[in-house]
Amino acid sequence: MTSDTRRRKGKREGLSAILFLSPTLLVFMVFVLFPVVFSFYLSFHTWNMFSSQRSFVGLENYERILRTPEFWDVLRNTVIYTLGTIPLNMIVALVLAYLLNKKIVGKKILRTAFFAPVIMSSVAAAVIWRWVYEPNFGLLNYCLSWFGVPAVNWLNDPTAAMFALIMMGVWKTFGVNMVLFSAGLQGIPEHYYEAAEIDGAGRWRKFWHITLPLLSPTTFFILVMSVIGSFQVFDTVYVLTSGGPLGRTKVLVFYLYENAFKFFEMGYASAVAYVLFAIIFGLTLLQVRYLKKSVHYTS
Amino acid sequence: MTRLSKLPLAVTAILLVVMAGCQKKTESSDRVVISFWHSCVSSTVPALNELIGRYQKEHPGVEIRAQYVPSGDALIQKLITAVQSQSAPDISWIHSDFLQDLVEANAIYRIDELMTGTDSLTRSDLKDIYPPLLLQAELRGTLYSIPMEATAIGLLCNRELFRNAGLDPDRPPTTWDELRAFAKKLTLDRNGDGKADQMGFFVPVFPSSGPLGGWMVWQWYCFLFQAGGNVINSEQTKVLYHEDAGVAALTLWKNMYEELNLNSFTIDYEVAFASRQLAMTLDGPWNIPRWNQIKGLDWMVAPLPAGPAKRATVVGGEYLSLFRQSRHPREAWEFMKWMLRPEIQAMWSMKSGYLPVRHAVRDVAEYRLFLEHNPALKAYVDQLDVGQAPNPVDYESLKITRNIAEAIEKATLGKMDPRTVLDESAAKSNALLNAVIRK
Repeated sequence: MTSDTRRRKGKREGLSAILFLSPTLLVFMVFVLFPVVFSFYLSFHTWNMFSSQRSFVGLENYERILRTPEFWDVLRNTVIYTLGTIPLNMIVALVLAYLLNKKIVGKKILRTAFFAPVIMSSVAAAVIWRWVYEPNFGLLNYCLSWFGVPAVNWLNDPTAAMFALIMMGVWKTFGVNMVLFSAGLQGIPEHYYEAAEIDGAGRWRKFWHITLPLLSPTTFFILVMSVIGSFQVFDTVYVLTSGGPLGRTKVLVFYLYENAFKFFEMGYASAVAYVLFAIIFGLTLLQVRYLKKSVHYTS
Repeated sequence: MTRLSKLPLAVTAILLVVMAGCQKKTESSDRVVISFWHSCVSSTVPALNELIGRYQKEHPGVEIRAQYVPSGDALIQKLITAVQSQSAPDISWIHSDFLQDLVEANAIYRIDELMTGTDSLTRSDLKDIYPPLLLQAELRGTLYSIPMEATAIGLLCNRELFRNAGLDPDRPPTTWDELRAFAKKLTLDRNGDGKADQMGFFVPVFPSSGPLGGWMVWQWYCFLFQAGGNVINSEQTKVLYHEDAGVAALTLWKNMYEELNLNSFTIDYEVAFASRQLAMTLDGPWNIPRWNQIKGLDWMVAPLPAGPAKRATVVGGEYLSLFRQSRHPREAWEFMKWMLRPEIQAMWSMKSGYLPVRHAVRDVAEYRLFLEHNPALKAYVDQLDVGQAPNPVDYESLKITRNIAEAIEKATLGKMDPRTVLDESAAKSNALLNAVIRK
């Protein structure tokens, strides 16, 4: 084949690739790329969605974020949610993945059951949880009453509400991490364990010195993804607490939504979106820089 | 099927829908279709269909296409999108909070633009409408919508629980002090666990950023008016809700909330009332069909107790506006006018449970007879006489409502001092108003 025909063939292949990709590309450009660019543009303007005029205000929206006390409250709530969800989530996921990696009866059924919350619509799930947390008729208070625990108004108590939200957040997402951990566990070669056994290592030592280090790529991946996910939590907050009581569960994306679609301040909301992006980007960079060192790879 | 292979299918489907949409526009022109967006609660939809059926029979050649849109946030979001994409309905329900945005976008007609022609709505027709309803239909003194139905808040009571507590259900509380005393008497903790098994009165405190935040503020207005207060001055230069009347109203709420230990009680007051765990609550006429359906529930609607200044309730309405994008404004206006006719208002109220918007309806003999047999509806209609609407907030009303909601939440749930939180909230609202004035 001459280089000319090869080039021509390459061109044709490129063309048909684009043709096949075009529906996806179109959807991507209209629903992802355009909004991303447009909201960046909007973050330097004020616009209420109705009027045809958008006035340029420079960095005013960003300045306003910094001097709005509510923004800092909302950021603090988001951090609390993240710190509450991620460790619990990862521990539960790891323990279950570890147990399900052993030969036990009903493994497949259990794995499916643990994964079910992930694929469930989060709005439907939150509606169910609202009834679980209901103070007078709810399941949780009913079960707690068996042990003499006094009734808690889970969603209406300023201190309990965030806890309730975290519990549901963990329940909703640990399934994904469990599957990821399972895959990670299965990727650890059996001979490491055999060698350790010959050296007389016990179950705990094997877990601590072989499983955990060799699982670290998975753990790192899960951590990075969980931080991103927790900072973006919205739907469960929207249905479960609507940011209440006293704004204690109002998280960043809820705040963004409120400004955009309740008060129609698209410029300000877009600026919040970009601040959120900067925070997540910064956190991810930090994790890559400082945690990547402690990640071990098998080969 | 893989995701990729679904896409051409999806694209085809979208194209088909678009094509179908285009086709509708070129439909034969002998039939005028009026699209009408509303948020009537589901129990009233059969009544609405009957109403539309009657209109279409009287007006052959016109089809009213009613479409349900969930109220509140969803409705305004949908309206904005529709106006932007040139697909606004002919007529839609409007909430007074939306008027600022819609008017500034020049999306709706002024009513005086429509009040022309010989058989049109007259000034005296407008005078017959309850004044508080018109107040909320206006923006900056100009009428942009007309009420389709009215609502008022009353005191919903469980008569059986009154009798059990040794109270006479035919003598409901008439003052704030009595309301407080009755509420305490009707609150029972049978097993002594510190949590009420039966609640005397529900103080409607909801998350201020949630879907019920506005509803909480709306109910609070009853008490604000009873203490002689208002939300904002009529010049729109400063808010008034933090003055003495507001403090009195919020202090009453706070005291009742704390002494009844309401923060351990469900906020689902409708379920609580239906399951006989709640003796008294504020409620509106749209729930009458719901309570009628529950067998064995002995309930009644009483007028709200009087406050230190006067008797009052908050009167609201659902308003209709005509969109400038309408291709049949004449026919659409015809329908809006027809809705205001006394006999139509009487029929609509009897079938739906909503209250009529004008005085003349009470002269319709059939309606008078109907009220005699429906004491709950009559209680609400009678409340219209002491009905009041808040002065409309022409600028930043959504945010000012939110500021009020936050103050209520902080004083009750957050146990803070009513005057302090109201002053803080008013300072925020006044700053918003000043920013508007400066522009």
